[in-house]
Amino acid sequence: MSATAMNRDVPGIYHKAGSLRAERRWALWVAYISLTVAAIIFLAPPFYMLITSLKGSAEIAGMTGSPWLVRSPTLENYVNIITSPMFQRFMLNSLVITACVVALTMVVSVLAAFALARMRFWGSQMLATGVFLTYLVPDTLLFIPLYQIVGGLGLLNSIWGLVLVYPTLTVPFCTWIMIGYFASIPKELDEAALIDGATWPQMLWKIFIPVALPGIIAATIFAFTVSWAAFVYPTAFVTTPDQMPLTIGVVSQLVRADTFAWGQIMAGALMAALPPVVIYAFLMDYYIAGLTAGATKG
Amino acid sequence: MAADGSLAGAALRRGAPNSLQRFARRRSSIAVLMTTPLLVIIIGLVAYPAVYAIYLSMLNRRMTEFVGTLNYEILLESETFWMVAFQSCFFAITAVLLKAMIGFWLAHMLHDIPDKGQRKWRGMLLVPWVIPPALSTLGWWWMFDPSYSSINWLLAVISVPEVPWLGHHWWARIAIIMVNVWIGAPFFMIMYLAALKSVPEQLYEAAAIDGATGFQRLRYVTLPMMANIISITVLFSLIVTFANYDIVRVLTNGGPRDLTHVFASYAFQVGILSGNIPRGAAVSLFMFPILAICAFFVLRSVVRRNKEQM
Amino acid sequence: MADKDLSRRALLGAGATAFAAGTLSAPAVFAQPTTTLRCGFWDHWVPAGNGAIRELCAEWGQQNRVNVQVDFITSVGNQNLLTIAAQAQSRSGHDLLSFPTWEPAAKADLLEPVDDVMGRLIGKYGPVNDAAEYLGKIRGTWRAIPAVSGTQMKPACVRFDLMEQHAGIDIRAMWPAENRRGPGADSWNWDTFLAAAEKCHAAGVPFGMPMGSFTDAVDTTGAILASFGASMMDARGNVTVRGNAKLKTAVEYLVRLARFLPNDVWAWDDGANNRALISGRSALIFNPPSAWAVAKRDAPQVAEKCWTVPMPAGPEGRFVPYLPYFWGIWSFSRNKGPAKQLLEFLSERASAEKQTNTSNGYDIPPFSSMSDFPVWANEGPPVGTVYNYPLREHHNARASVAQAPAPAEFAVQAYQQALNTKVVARVNQGGETVDQALAWLERELNTIRRGG
Repeated sequence: MSATAMNRDVPGIYHKAGSLRAERRWALWVAYISLTVAAIIFLAPPFYMLITSLKGSAEIAGMTGSPWLVRSPTLENYVNIITSPMFQRFMLNSLVITACVVALTMVVSVLAAFALARMRFWGSQMLATGVFLTYLVPDTLLFIPLYQIVGGLGLLNSIWGLVLVYPTLTVPFCTWIMIGYFASIPKELDEAALIDGATWPQMLWKIFIPVALPGIIAATIFAFTVSWAAFVYPTAFVTTPDQMPLTIGVVSQLVRADTFAWGQIMAGALMAALPPVVIYAFLMDYYIAGLTAGATKG
Repeated sequence: MAADGSLAGAALRRGAPNSLQRFARRRSSIAVLMTTPLLVIIIGLVAYPAVYAIYLSMLNRRMTEFVGTLNYEILLESETFWMVAFQSCFFAITAVLLKAMIGFWLAHMLHDIPDKGQRKWRGMLLVPWVIPPALSTLGWWWMFDPSYSSINWLLAVISVPEVPWLGHHWWARIAIIMVNVWIGAPFFMIMYLAALKSVPEQLYEAAAIDGATGFQRLRYVTLPMMANIISITVLFSLIVTFANYDIVRVLTNGGPRDLTHVFASYAFQVGILSGNIPRGAAVSLFMFPILAICAFFVLRSVVRRNKEQM
Repeated sequence: MADKDLSRRALLGAGATAFAAGTLSAPAVFAQPTTTLRCGFWDHWVPAGNGAIRELCAEWGQQNRVNVQVDFITSVGNQNLLTIAAQAQSRSGHDLLSFPTWEPAAKADLLEPVDDVMGRLIGKYGPVNDAAEYLGKIRGTWRAIPAVSGTQMKPACVRFDLMEQHAGIDIRAMWPAENRRGPGADSWNWDTFLAAAEKCHAAGVPFGMPMGSFTDAVDTTGAILASFGASMMDARGNVTVRGNAKLKTAVEYLVRLARFLPNDVWAWDDGANNRALISGRSALIFNPPSAWAVAKRDAPQVAEKCWTVPMPAGPEGRFVPYLPYFWGIWSFSRNKGPAKQLLEFLSERASAEKQTNTSNGYDIPPFSSMSDFPVWANEGPPVGTVYNYPLREHHNARASVAQAPAPAEFAVQAYQQALNTKVVARVNQGGETVDQALAWLERELNTIRRGG
């Protein structure tokens, strides 16, 4: 990284400095133009959602002038959505489900990753590969048999059914990146601990978890994002509004075909998207580090 | 993989074979205990349902009798199903290629600008990927609405005629791909940016001194260094995109004329909405071979990657 | 409806009632109700439409000391079908649900017979209309009660100003808000309609007739087929596509008509036609008065120029698309007694009138003796706009159920797969000939017969 900066600042070492500098400047222009265009396209839909959420129904129905501008901004949609008991319930369901799933995922995957990374036992290699393969199984492959299984357990249309099945989406990847993090911890550490008479659980708790904290944060964010945004399972397994999490709640309950609840739908969608966005804003680096490590290192 | 034998060595040093045996027994029993929850999840909620799906797909509509491969036969004879298969492949391949190219381009552009600005740009460009897809697709749907389309309004400004975004099947397919690319390109960008940063700067310097052009640097330095990560992300994204459901559900629900259904949404339509669970299970099982092939190659790349790093 | 805020709150609260049940059901002043009756009603499209059901349930719950918990389940995105499927699958959920068109037949084995209730109601109010009886009475047993709330006709809702300006038809004179036909009513047939569609299309206000796979599209197309005497499957389940001249004529007509529709009708959902009307971009849609009711709130200048008239007639008569809802009680419900009582209460004349009134006349009671509610004559502006919405004697029309008379088990699939609109789409969009499309239709119907 520092090398890059140095090259840019001190181009003098090259004998063709002039043309190189021109090339650099040109490249920089191209870069900024591309990034600006990309940023406009990438941010246009959320921007339009925001604009729509600030309009009243009559303004949306009115269709005069540019739809990209708001003439009489109102917070009415947000007030309505926040005070709506239905939306509050979606929010609560999402929070309960996500909290349970994240806790469950972290416990399961940290324990398993520790065992797989450090305690070789019969089949541990195979299991580690199995974990990775499980991560590659998409939810859409299994939702129909799971629909039957969840139904058989009497958990259709219940948030607990979702708490039961969401770990299939989160646990494999979290275990996988935790294996990577644990494996990167020097072995001298645990040998020393063992010689000092530490038990395995102590070793996990006192050494591995603190040292691998960045990995744990990354895995937690991943589990949070996945369970917050999950769509296939709630769409299939939950049908009444009182059990719906936000994603399917907003998509299926706020869309009232012809009642022009559009401002409200967009307000609801933006509010539902807020928690992951906020988390990224603060913890983006951890997450990206974990993710790139997860997919490259294993 | 990191499961290794160094601990056995540690144990050896402690001496007596008796205690060693006991220790090993203890260690493996603890290990098994620790992995049990994981095993329960993998076996109970992934492996068992997968096998159960195969059984389900061989029942009749009311699930009262065993009909063998009848569901598969009916599907293979149905035109709609072939359209679904075509659309799934077309969608996944086009979308993944576009995502990879756009992500690659943007990663390069990000890499080119000074470090201090990168964070800000990266944060902005990640937004599409951070919003839960079902919700951002809802925003897109509203932008595509036949009567109130804001995209058509923009097009009208530059006097392009109205586009029937979701009404004509080719436009609808394009719309679905657009949304998928919009959501997924930032992921590629991030992965490639990380890979770019790991390419040693000296290689570029050497290439520059040898008088390599920009394209040559890309061809002979960047691409070989990134080959593995590119294949992993592309294959991985192929799996995810191929199995996508949210976008089709929110944007078109499969219409017009079932021409935008992908395997997942068609399985949902047939299995859960129309109440033919066995047929739905059969539809989703058709995804399995393609996914298995991708998964095999992903796994191979990952293993190779690990070996390189060791 | 009058109060914007109120209606919006009602709308939002709609699905929320399950957990706010305490406030809606009998206030537990006298005694703690011991029974909880869980009901899933259709989530109304008219902004204030859910209010009537909620109030009626609260009223009945209070009288009978039953805690009535009301959920409203939307048909947008087929959420209601999903709910029915999930509850049938898990044998649990609500005690009673609203079932659209073919669902009572499809789920007949899981529905509690309601012959007793229907017997009493028919005794009091006379016969139920034929279409509702055909769909609700399966193998001689009533499996569900034809509902008031949600049951709809889909006649033409016309922008009379645009129609007069571009097609030269004075629709209000033709179908005045009285029990008589006006001048030109006899020529209100599909040929006249086609000519008008062409003119309005040329003028940039095409008719908004959806041709996708949702109910509005399937029901409307079904009615057009019926008025040409065309059907795809007979009552015994035989496919009647090959050599069916009437079917071919009807499909050819639809193909011609579809050329004058907006180019994306193939993907329209049940709301897209409403939005086309409300945005002022369409001169005619086939819809119950919900589009007009929403326009009244959000685009009053459009609502003032809407007029609902019967469907145009075809060679075999005038058929109006009919989408009935049914209230059915699951056989696994533990509260069948109270559920029956509640449904009987909701079907009584006073209750029915209340539902129809709060929904701006949208809800059509199943008993023809109830077609004299004053609401249809009084709603406005313009006053009389929905006078011709329910079937009236002088229309000389019949209710049409798409895919009838096929046996229910096949019809429900043909309906959900929207075979009737797809056959047209294959010609218009897919570039096939009518014969190729009909051959495709025959194959699909045979697949359905093979264990669908």
